[in-house]
Amino acid sequence: MPTAKLLQRFPTVIATVVMASAAGGGATAQANTPSATRHRQFLPLIALLVTFVFADSGASWAQGAGPTDPQIAAIVVTANQVDIDAAKLAKSTSKTKDVRDFAQLMITDHGGVNKAAAALVQKLHVTPEPNPTSESLQKAGDDNVAALKKLQGHDFDKAYVDHEVAYHQAVIDAIDKTLIPSAHNAELKALLTKARPAFVAHLDHAKQLQTELSKGGV
Amino acid sequence: MRFLAGALVAAILTASAAAGPGKEFIVTIEGMQFHPEQLTVHRGDHIVWVNKDLFPHTATAARVFDSGSIAADGSWSYTAAKSGEYAYSCTFHPTMKGKITVQ
Repeated sequence: MPTAKLLQRFPTVIATVVMASAAGGGATAQANTPSATRHRQFLPLIALLVTFVFADSGASWAQGAGPTDPQIAAIVVTANQVDIDAAKLAKSTSKTKDVRDFAQLMITDHGGVNKAAAALVQKLHVTPEPNPTSESLQKAGDDNVAALKKLQGHDFDKAYVDHEVAYHQAVIDAIDKTLIPSAHNAELKALLTKARPAFVAHLDHAKQLQTELSKGGV
Repeated sequence: MRFLAGALVAAILTASAAAGPGKEFIVTIEGMQFHPEQLTVHRGDHIVWVNKDLFPHTATAARVFDSGSIAADGSWSYTAAKSGEYAYSCTFHPTMKGKITVQ
């Protein structure tokens, strides 16, 4: 089976295998490699995992069907919450004002989206339903925070911002390809449509920070 | 009857005085954009920014006006005082830009 096809069908499994091999490699190199360098090596893989988690959403549903509205609600809430969790850590850990400001923006904006989502599910009498995508998202978010906790200074800033770029790109793709097309309720679809421009602005903002960090400008 | 007509005129005059002279213009903030992006008004006109997004924004022109944080579903009003062209943005989301021309 070609790699692309394989990724399409079993992305999470492959990502997990990649993560496990990376962890194994890290253990072998432990004697001579500083801890921060080891963790830095793993972070791009975690960012990759986020992409796979969303890419996996197409494979997780019954053939020809997307997630249901209660499942979409759980995906939206979890996607926002894991970014808030990472931002809270960044706000308290980073020594760079631009990174802390960005983190505060993520807390405020994603909090706003989740508040609106909570109000909508209450109005529609929908209970968010955990599903493989929301659960994988939660795990990827927890792994990201755990990896970031081992870093500091420039290594932390770079890893946090790199992850934010990958995360926002993955969320935009999921909104466009899975969530909006699958949403049945018009108000849920409208909420997703309304939230989308914020994710695009955040992605641009994160990319700008990424460039500044690579130049040592912040 | 004459008393009622007088009261009506007084009520209308009071309402006008409360709004102040000048027209009112609405700038809607939605989808991370100011609508309209460019607006021309006259001195004394009122511009009201209404935030229809899910999170706070600002309308800020350095050293001219600054709304501070406008909450989701909140609004902020500014009375154009001085002629000129004023580029403004949202301090939280610098990609959001607008321009007010005061004649």
